[in-house]
Amino acid sequence: MQPYQEEYIANLKEITALASRSQTTSYSLSEYQEKLQHDRSLLEEKINRNIDLLRDGLFPLFDRLFEAPPEELAELEEFANALLNGKNELDGGLFCQIYQALLSHARHTKNRNAIIRCLYWLGIGRHHMCTKMVGIDLADIEHYMSQMRLCFTEAAAYLKYFDEIDDIDTKGYILRSRANTALGQFKSASAKIRLTRQTLQILRDEGYRENAPALPWDRYVYMTHQQMASSISYCRDHDMTAQDVTSIMESAHIVHQRQIEEAVGKQDAPPIRSAFSCAAIEYYCGMFTLEALLGRMEELMDHADTSRFSQENMYAVISLPAFYCQYLREYPEQLSGREKYLENLYRKVISYVEAFPKDEANEQIFFYLRQLSTTFIETAHSISYGDFQQIMLIHFAPDVYVHSQVVGKTAAVLCDVIVSEDSSFFDDIDQIQQIQQPAAKRQAVLDFAMNCGVFHDVGIINFISLFTRTARQWFDEEYEIIHLHTIVGSKRLATCASTRDYAAAALGHHSWYDGTHGYPDVYKRLECPCRQVVDVVGLIDWIDNSISRAWLYGHPQKSFDEAIEGALLLEGKRFSPLLTARLRDKAVVEKLRQTFVSARREAYRQLYEARSYA
Amino acid sequence: METRNTNGYLIIECHPDKQSHVLFADSGACAVTGSSLARLLSANPNQIAENHKIERIPLDSRHELWILKNCDDSPYQTVIEQLRQQNTELAEALSVCEEENRAKSSFLSSMSHDIRTPMNAIMGMTSIGLSHIDEKPRVLDCLQKIQTASTHLMSLVNDVLDMSRIASGRMTLSEEPFSLADMVHDITIIVRPQAAQKHQSLQIEAEKIYVERLIGDPLHLRQIFVNIIGNAVKYTQAEGSIRVTITQRYDDQHTKEPEKIWLDFLCEDNGIGMSPAFLEQIFVPFERVNNSTINQIEGTGLGMSIVKSLLDRMGGSITVESEEGNGSRFHVSIPLTTVPNTANEQPLPTGQTVLIAETLDSRAQQLAEYLQDGGMTAVHLKNGTEVVTWLTEAQYENRMPCALLVGQELSDMSALNMAAHVRQLAGKDFPIIMVADADWVQIEYRATRAGINGFVPCPLFQSRLFATLSELTYKAQQNSGGAPDLELDYSKYRLLLVEDNALNREIALELLSLTGVQVETAENGLRAVEAFEQAPEGYFDLIFMDIQMPVMNGYDAARKIRQLPRKDAASVWIVAMTANAFVEDIRLSREAGMNEHCSKPVNEDRLHEILRKRFSRKEP
Repeated sequence: MQPYQEEYIANLKEITALASRSQTTSYSLSEYQEKLQHDRSLLEEKINRNIDLLRDGLFPLFDRLFEAPPEELAELEEFANALLNGKNELDGGLFCQIYQALLSHARHTKNRNAIIRCLYWLGIGRHHMCTKMVGIDLADIEHYMSQMRLCFTEAAAYLKYFDEIDDIDTKGYILRSRANTALGQFKSASAKIRLTRQTLQILRDEGYRENAPALPWDRYVYMTHQQMASSISYCRDHDMTAQDVTSIMESAHIVHQRQIEEAVGKQDAPPIRSAFSCAAIEYYCGMFTLEALLGRMEELMDHADTSRFSQENMYAVISLPAFYCQYLREYPEQLSGREKYLENLYRKVISYVEAFPKDEANEQIFFYLRQLSTTFIETAHSISYGDFQQIMLIHFAPDVYVHSQVVGKTAAVLCDVIVSEDSSFFDDIDQIQQIQQPAAKRQAVLDFAMNCGVFHDVGIINFISLFTRTARQWFDEEYEIIHLHTIVGSKRLATCASTRDYAAAALGHHSWYDGTHGYPDVYKRLECPCRQVVDVVGLIDWIDNSISRAWLYGHPQKSFDEAIEGALLLEGKRFSPLLTARLRDKAVVEKLRQTFVSARREAYRQLYEARSYA
Repeated sequence: METRNTNGYLIIECHPDKQSHVLFADSGACAVTGSSLARLLSANPNQIAENHKIERIPLDSRHELWILKNCDDSPYQTVIEQLRQQNTELAEALSVCEEENRAKSSFLSSMSHDIRTPMNAIMGMTSIGLSHIDEKPRVLDCLQKIQTASTHLMSLVNDVLDMSRIASGRMTLSEEPFSLADMVHDITIIVRPQAAQKHQSLQIEAEKIYVERLIGDPLHLRQIFVNIIGNAVKYTQAEGSIRVTITQRYDDQHTKEPEKIWLDFLCEDNGIGMSPAFLEQIFVPFERVNNSTINQIEGTGLGMSIVKSLLDRMGGSITVESEEGNGSRFHVSIPLTTVPNTANEQPLPTGQTVLIAETLDSRAQQLAEYLQDGGMTAVHLKNGTEVVTWLTEAQYENRMPCALLVGQELSDMSALNMAAHVRQLAGKDFPIIMVADADWVQIEYRATRAGINGFVPCPLFQSRLFATLSELTYKAQQNSGGAPDLELDYSKYRLLLVEDNALNREIALELLSLTGVQVETAENGLRAVEAFEQAPEGYFDLIFMDIQMPVMNGYDAARKIRQLPRKDAASVWIVAMTANAFVEDIRLSREAGMNEHCSKPVNEDRLHEILRKRFSRKEP
């Protein structure tokens, strides 16, 4: 690697450590704040340095890519591979950019082996992006799934020329690409299973095997069985054939047997993941009742070791409860009598998350938490969905937590100003319109605004690494992916009773008042039942981003006064003139300024206390 | 001598409140009843009626002529027959008048309702808009609704005027050559949004079409078809389906006259349908289906009557089948004169393969038949992944098809996502043509960005498919042979390429040379500013500006150019051409006064897209 590449990687690791911040037990609150400030400065310094490294080192190379010597291209590839490996993702976005460039080069030079290799790795990079999209409807993310799938499909198409390809690595890439064509979401579950089945047939084909005996065929076969077994939840999809279900059953059995053998060899307990797969298969085949399956899952979850953070334990503590909740969602009658168990389960997940090592950059835990966030069920005495999300933010995205608290409190202050002038301003919200008593009405507006602010960025949990660990500005593609946080947040909030009312704020806070810009397209301001509050949250979110998180959006940081001026410039376009009119009142502006400061201080105090407690 | 076989005649005066009495009786009546005249005149008519066979003929509102039947040879028989005839005619005329009067009253009533409805909307929305004048989206929404209501009001007035013109014989039909494909395309553009608003499935298919160039009155033909399809949309429930097929047939009588052809148009829907009683009245002016389900549907009731009148004038016919609750089926036949088809300007890629990526079998089959007619071979696939696999193999084996025809949706992914990958795989010149029902204007931006470089609208016409296919394959062939790109002929434009790297300059020059544009180069920002300053005003149409350059970078150069005291300094397009791909870089280039941003390594499609965007171009 070139020195700038090594420095970039080193900075990335430091940035990850800084972003996750150490425990607070040894600091007082003021020391904690001072430390945060210091870490923040360091973080920005590192980020700026990384941006410069890319500008001065990488982008000039992209600029003259077609004349770059092979050694430089090899270094570039080595750099990319350090950004994303099997377990950890240091910078998946940059990884994709580099492999996209290398693929262009390979196509330009008509280098078949390089084309296949770059397609495989670009597909892997895109797969990592797709894993952040758990819980989003396929229709909203089909673009990303197709981008990923077509990379693998094109590389896998060279299977036809397997015999004439000499390079063993290239042969491996072709086979792995072939297996990966079944990754991600599909319109039809059966199509996914069919593809995996065909891959298994290819991998078992003696003709291929004899042609490349050095390849780890058994590992490929086993991994494909794992892939097939992970499709277990599709078993009851309407388009699944008996053959599809049989294929999954066979694979689940093979994986389970092998894992038991390995566990016995290590004198270890049988693996939880495959034990669940087997139980689930028996349920899908009618050998188990759902009651029995849930009981078996409870046993497996109860045996999980919550003091260890291996893949297996993370799966048992977070992912398995996600599946458990999914069954209870689908069959609500099964919830009766299980409320207490569920409440304890959530407590266990939260304790586990709070104990998770802060400097551990493990994407897998985020993946599992996305699963649980998608299937979460509220009961009368369980932690509320909103509180669960807050804990996730405190732990994994403290900056987002602080921002959300600031937006909530400041939005409430602006709403208070408006309500004092026009008590019916927020009467577009049904439950507020029905309140007659002025003080109660005012309080209801403030609570509503506060909650909308607190939950507006909840969808960011899906894209945590892009917000908290991206050690540079976003690329255009990443910026587009980030847009999905509005849809994810809205979907999440809408699934639970305690947060349903605030879903519109998550969906609409990046939309423009005049509808000409902003996102997502599905938010229609005039159809929104609480558009005035959403407008307020959008305005305060923009101001806070401008003064405290500007670098994320590629804007220069603004002072508070500059942000207010900026908002006024966007009056009637991005922001409602009914709101910006209030920004001409010096007393209101002063009140907002003070709230931004005090709310941030208070949010940091909450963060400190939460972390001290944890 | 009077006989009992003679009919008798009585005139009865009827009183609504009193007993009727006999006003007049002839001798026949005396004979038939066996009574004297005096007795008859004082008799109770009801008793006479009870005892004899009587035919009653009303004379006016208070008098009736009674015929006491016995025989036919009455001296009054002829007069009575005439009277009876006249009465019948008068009754019929009265009925027609009353019917017309009723229809006109109903028309006036519905017109005042129909006019009041949009007028109410216009007034109401204006008032709402005024009371929310600070809320731009709300005002915009009101204005859009006012626009819709005004457009509807205008169509009401136009219908009435049309009907009046037809009724007064002031309307003449034109005889001019027209393209059936263009006409059908226009119709599709008009009716599709109406159906889309109601989430209806509207399928318009062109089936067997022998000749696309015809002679007739395209304006009124369009009016006929839009009226019929428009009605189907109106009277079909949300999410219902409407299917329109257009075919041609030669008239048996004209088999020796190939210049005559019948255009058959069939419109079927699963809407509310019509009762048999209404079906009889459908072409009567001012009649509309009247039931509670569709009272909200706007219309004058003149549409079908206009259609019928126009078709009568054209020598065509219309038949309607309908069942209440089960939809309607309109069949129109019109005789037209043909114009011989003209050959494409560019040759078709005969003998070559065309890959079709389409989920709909019927569409794929039609495409394959057309391609076969043109001497090409079709390969049909339904999945994006299958297409990419097939093309990868074809490219590796040097047997690439001459084009890819792609439908709007594939079984496993959107066509645009697949096209974007194929564009990278197959290179910039490979023709990827979308064949879809969509409105091109709506999808053009996304489609061209995904690498689609041609569009054939549906309903599918062979002429349009061949024109697009021949043009793009010819262009691809020319480009691969190094000849200038004919469609992208920008030879009258001049651009300044600012790039410090010699190889990049060379690559960009090579790509740009295919478009014919005149290119001058500068190796850094300062040289670019000097070159622009020294050139006469309006000399450069476009500047491609690298960012990281020695002496003066691209941002500074762009700023300096924008500050020059000359008219074209503000208007010349400056495009950042740089490897800096951050969101902030795009913002910085905009802030420096640049119009576009093109990432490196240079994406050839993006380069061409910018040229197309900057310079006027032919619509697909």
